[in-house]
Formats: sequence, structure tokens, C-alpha cells
Amino acid sequence: MKVKINEDWLATILGFVLLILALINVVTPAWMKF
Amino acid sequence: MTTSVVKQEKTSGSTVVQFLVGLVIVVALAFLSRWLKNQVYGIKDLFGLGIPGKVLEYPLWAALLGLIANPILKALKLHSFAKPGFRTELFLKIGLVLLGAGISFKVIVTAAGGAIIQGIIMVAAVYFFSWWLGGKFGLPDTLRAVMSTAISICGVSAAIAAAGSVMAKKEEITYVTALVIITALPLMVIAPLLAGAMNMPEPVAGAWFGGNVDTTAAVVGAGTIYGETAQKIASIVKSTQNVLIGLVAFLLALYFTTVVEGKKEKPSASIIWQRFPKFVLGFIVTSLIFTFGWINKDQGSAIAGMKDWAFCLAFVCMGLELEVAGFKKMGWSPVIVYLIVTVFNTLLALGISWLIFGWLFPAAL
Repeated sequence: MKVKINEDWLATILGFVLLILALINVVTPAWMKF
Repeated sequence: MTTSVVKQEKTSGSTVVQFLVGLVIVVALAFLSRWLKNQVYGIKDLFGLGIPGKVLEYPLWAALLGLIANPILKALKLHSFAKPGFRTELFLKIGLVLLGAGISFKVIVTAAGGAIIQGIIMVAAVYFFSWWLGGKFGLPDTLRAVMSTAISICGVSAAIAAAGSVMAKKEEITYVTALVIITALPLMVIAPLLAGAMNMPEPVAGAWFGGNVDTTAAVVGAGTIYGETAQKIASIVKSTQNVLIGLVAFLLALYFTTVVEGKKEKPSASIIWQRFPKFVLGFIVTSLIFTFGWINKDQGSAIAGMKDWAFCLAFVCMGLELEVAGFKKMGWSPVIVYLIVTVFNTLLALGISWLIFGWLFPAAL
């Protein structure tokens, strides 16, 4: 079965994955300093 | 295994490699943008022209590096190979979802009230002015529809949505996409300078960028250059306008099938949901998480950093994705129409944003 993910949904999912990584302190401010 | 399956696997395999190569190029250019920004940020007077280094924010460097790398990659015959990794919309939307995690839901509700009124006025006025002017210049209906939607709503993604509804030609989409990026990139820099010269408060400036600059990436870029509050309001106003894509796509499909093509069957209203920008839902949910107090200061800083990286990748891609090859085929009439409508859009948005965000709904941030 071929599953096609819309780019809008993909961006939303990836955004949440990154948010969760920050919430469980896997990503720290020092790493992401811009 | 059949030959076609083998071929398909090879194709998808090579697309992954192409995506990764493109991504490496984009990330390298984003690092370079950050380095350049940090080099000039502390300088008080650049080249003795009285320009402080901090006005040269990262969107400017990122878009500029993308524009410089674009012809170099084309000359090296690497551009089309690496193109699957140049994903302006993807990186931008990830950044917008993360941006929500720094905005109180109360601010979204306050700003969205004004943004809805501004969006409806701007979209309707700019769309019909562009449609009328395009007719006067003798542009084909399909090009007028794609162009009017791009200018009035949100540039590239609106152009693609409209093209699907009116069965526009591929070269018309490419052409309008190039026009959007060519006008949005200078506006991303000029609009914050003009707003500064007019001493515009940040919420008003943000609303102006959101209503005036055509593509969402450049709106966020202009807001980032002007200030943090301007970035937030610009994103809320533009996202509200983005929500109207579905409705316009449906109305266009209805008009073209029934009036232009004279068919009896009507398009399904499900197109409104299909074209709805789902990242807006993510933006609202992350804002609620922030509003409930579930994000502490350190986590907030990490999220803000990731948001800046995602936006920086989007700005690099914007420069990399510019294609001007289709211009010669279409002639200059659409360019003239586009530029006149852009001036109209800029002036109208200036008046409306002052009225709504400076007077009716001054967003309390």
C-alpha cells in the first residue's frame, strides 16, 4: 500500500516531533542557539 | 520482481539521495548565513553609511546566499539533481508550528480578529483589481486566476492551489511563482526599512507585511528583520489569509466549470478542507501548549532556536528555488500587471493595517 503524506501534515508532524524533543530536554538551548 | 518495480525502487532511492544532497547544501548555506549575521551584528556603523549591523538579520543573508548559490549550482549541473532538498514550504511550515509555541493564545485570538477583517478586505479588493487589470491587458483567464490568487492570498502555495482549480498550464504556474519570489525578496528588505522610516509600531508593521508581501516566507522574513512582535503578528495575519486558500480554490473551480467551461456538474466543497493549510492547526495547538504553561524558559529557548533554524533553511531555499527561464515565453504584460497590483496591494495594506491594528484592534503584546 502506498501512503502519500501531504507536505502540510508532514511539516506539522515534524514541528511536533521537534517540540516534544525540546519538552523532554533532548534538545537544549545551547545546541540550537542561532 | 518486475522491471517496473525495480525501476520504481531505483527512482525512489535516487530521490532520497537527491533530497539528502539538497538538504546538505541548504544546511551548509544556513550555517554560513548564521556566521555572516554574527560577524556583522555587533558593528554599529557599516561601511561608514550609518547602517547598524543588527539590521542585516539572518533572512537577508540566507536569501542572498540562496540567490548566489542558485546560478552556481546550475552552472555545475547540480541544481536540478539537488532540487528535491530545496523545500521552502516544508521548512517554513515547521518554523510556523514552532513559532506558535512562543505566542499566547490570547494574542492569536486578539490579532486574528483584526486579521480576519483585514484578510477579507485585502483578498477581495486585490483579487478583483488584479483580475480586472489582467483583463484590460488581455491576459488569459487561467493566468489571471493564478496571478490574482497569488497576489491576494499567499504567493506560491496559493498559485498552485488556484492552478489546480482552473486547470492552468504548468508554465503559467512557473511564471507566477518566479514573479512572486522576484517581488517578494526585495519587499522583504524594503518593507521593514519603510516601516522604520514611518516609525510604525511593531503590530501595525507586522500586519502590513502580512497583508502586503506576497509569499509567507518573505512575510516572516520581513517581520523577523523588523522585530519579534512584528514577526508574530505578521505570521498570524498571513496564516489567517492562508486559511482563505480553500474557499478561493473552491469558488474558482465553481466559476471555471460552470461559467467558463459551461458544464453542469459542480465541484465538491471538500476542496475547502483539502486546501486548508493544516500547519495552522499545529500553530494553534502549540500556542495552547505554551498558554497552559507547559513550556519552561529553557525549553522555550530551545524551541525558539529550532524555529530560527527552520526559517533560515526556508529563506535559503527561497533563493535557491528562483527560476526565471519562463519569463521570455510569456512577455512583459503579466509583469506590468503584477507590479501595478503589487503597488496597489502595498498601499491598501498600509491603510488597512493602520486602521485595524493601530486603531480598531491594537494587539496587546
